[in-house]
Parts: sequence; C-alpha cells; structure tokens
Amino acid sequence: MSPIDQRLQEALDGERDPGDLPTDLRESYALLSAAAQMLKAMPPVSVASRVMAEIRQNPAPVQSEGPARRLIRWLRGGRAVTVRLRPVWTLALAAGLATVLLLPWSDGLPTPGVAQGIAKFVGHFPGARSVEVVGSFNDWSRGALALNDDDHDGIWHADAVLPAGQHEYMFVVDGERWVPDPLADRYVDDGFGAGQQNSLLIVRPVSAQP
Amino acid sequence: MSLRLVLALAVAVTAALGAQTGNGSTRLGGRVPAAALPAIDSILAAAVAESLPTEPLVQKALEGSAKNIPADRLVNGVRRGFLQLRQARVIVSRAVPGQAPPEGHVAAVAAALARGLSGPVVERLLTVAPNEPPGPALHAAADLVAHHFDPDSAADLLVDAHNKGLRGVRLLDVAVAADHELQRPGGRTPSEALAHVRAMLPNVRPGRP
Repeated sequence: MSPIDQRLQEALDGERDPGDLPTDLRESYALLSAAAQMLKAMPPVSVASRVMAEIRQNPAPVQSEGPARRLIRWLRGGRAVTVRLRPVWTLALAAGLATVLLLPWSDGLPTPGVAQGIAKFVGHFPGARSVEVVGSFNDWSRGALALNDDDHDGIWHADAVLPAGQHEYMFVVDGERWVPDPLADRYVDDGFGAGQQNSLLIVRPVSAQP
Repeated sequence: MSLRLVLALAVAVTAALGAQTGNGSTRLGGRVPAAALPAIDSILAAAVAESLPTEPLVQKALEGSAKNIPADRLVNGVRRGFLQLRQARVIVSRAVPGQAPPEGHVAAVAAALARGLSGPVVERLLTVAPNEPPGPALHAAADLVAHHFDPDSAADLLVDAHNKGLRGVRLLDVAVAADHELQRPGGRTPSEALAHVRAMLPNVRPGRP
C-alpha cells in the first residue's frame, strides 16, 4: 500500500486548509471528501436484509407439479444421510456376514471333518413307502438315516457325513425288506450263513475326494 | 513278589478286561436276543483276552439283531468274525514283526479276508507298507479280484503303485483304472489292462470311492 501524502492526510483531518494544497492533491482531496459524504448519507443495512429484500422483490415462479413428478424429483435428488452405528451392532453384523461368506454351502449337511467324508445313497424303489439306510456307521439302528423321494419318481436318496473308511450297510424298504444297494461298488457276505450280502462303502476323507 | 501284589494285579487285570468287554456288552444290551447274549459275551471276552479288536464283533452282533437273525446263526456269525480276526492277527504278526499287531491292521485284514483275499496276497501287501493303514491297499486288491483279475498280478500292480508314490485311497484309483481298461471297447484282456495301468503309474485319474 502506498502511504497517503501527509499534507492530504492533514487536510482530511481538518488540520490544514485544503486551499493550501497543490492542485493534484486538491483534486484528490475533493474526491475523498465526496466519498466520505456518500458513506455518511447511506443508511446502515445488513447484507441479509438486502438479500431478503431482493428475494421479496423477485419471487421465484411457482411450478405446479403432480405427486409423481415430485416423487421422481425427490428420488433423483441428492440427500444427506446420517448413519449412527453402535459398535456392538456393527460387530454383530460383521460376524454374521463373515459366517455367511465363509461357511461352505452343504445342502444342510454338517461340514465334514478331516477324517470324514460325504456319502451319497441312491436307490430306485418305485412304490416304496419308506426307505432307510442301516449300517455299521449307525450301529445298525433303524430310523437313523432315511432316504427321501420328494418328487415321487421312485428314486430315493440321502447324503450323510460319515467317518472315512469302510462301512457295511443295507437298505430297508417299507420297514421290513432288507436289500443290498443295487448301485454299490462292493459287496461282502454278511456271514450269517444264508448267502446274503451287505453293500460295502469306502468313504474317502474330504481331503482326498476329487 | 508278595501275595498282596499278585492279588492286586489280578484284580486290576480283571477290572480292565471287564471294562473292555463291558463296553461291548453295554451296547448289545436290549438289542441282542437274550438267547444269544451269553455266547456273544464269551466271544467278546475271548477277543479281549487275545488282544483282538472287539468293535467288528459288536457290529456283527448288532447287525444280526437288526436283521432278526435267529440266535444260533447270529452267534455263528459273530464267531466266524472272531476266527477271521484271529487269522488276521497271525498274518499281521508275520508281516509286521517285532511289535504288537495294531488293532486297525487286524480289523482291516479280517475285512479283506471276508472279501475273499487270500492270506499270502494280504501278507505281501502288508509287508510293502507295514506302517501305513492297510485298508485302502487291501480293498483295492479285493476290488481287482472281484473283477476277475489274477490275485497275484493285482498285488504286483498295487506294489508298483506304492513304489511309485501312490498311497492311501489313491490305491483304490488304481483298481478303478484297471477296471476301466478292462471294460474299454475293443476288449483288453485282464493282463493287458493291468499292463496298461502299470504304464500309466503314478498318473491314474482320481475317482469316486
């Protein structure tokens, strides 16, 4: 900023007669004095008051919109959203998501352990009312593992998680008829002297299943 | 050794034996016909006394009961299982000398005998890998024999597979591969099928059990 001439300053302060000033300073004095008079003449109005006055003088045109148009405009417009999270619920949500993402889908079967595998039992028994698998993996207990035929096409099936290794088994049809699995890869004499055979299943541990 | 020490040892051994047979008997109670239970109990006690695994015998008794097998045939079936376990232990002792026959080995060998494998073939396969669970190799051999392969040739193939690094259930894939070769259109003889699989080793395709 360039400093104001000392003589001009004294004249503005009333300490010097403006007539004593040189011609160029006299012109400056006249301009500054006029500006000061104008500022004194203006009423003190705030910026806000002036803006509101301007708005009142020039109101925005009111558009008549239907509800659909207003809804579309509301949907398309940006909205500030404030989300307040409680840490405990956030952690619970994260744990739930991790459970869903990390656990394998297994059609309702429990996840096999290292020394377990999944066995699939399938049999064609048209007209049967019930089919179950009974074998060494369930102590030859009845009612432990039932096969299902949900679409009633005569093909009964069930999946089970079993210990890896060999298991002898048979199907029990309608609660009374013992039959070997016709699709089994192996059979072994049951040892009771009537020449009946058990089906033999070898369950591979999941780590060895292709 | 004092009399008191001898008596204490006798009580301890009796209690231990009772605990082992009791486990099997407890599982049989209420399921095995009363007429068969005493004979089965005595077979189980003999198995314990000879350090044979009892689980296959318990399973055989439960199986026979579930199938409503008459008591005499049920007992005979369990006794047959006991004799197979006894024979299996002899084979294991020969193939794996210098240690008590592992129960898992004995049970696996008994199962292989029940499937029709001969003692010498079983013993040969045990000798190749005495410290590995023998079940898969024995089942692979039994699978090959069931598909009419020569038992000794089948054992040869499995020994080759073992020597080329195949272990455990992968040995079952060797039997599956040989069976596939046998059924291939064009007709291979069993020996041709085995030779073809031997040439592929160890690259046999992993298959389902």
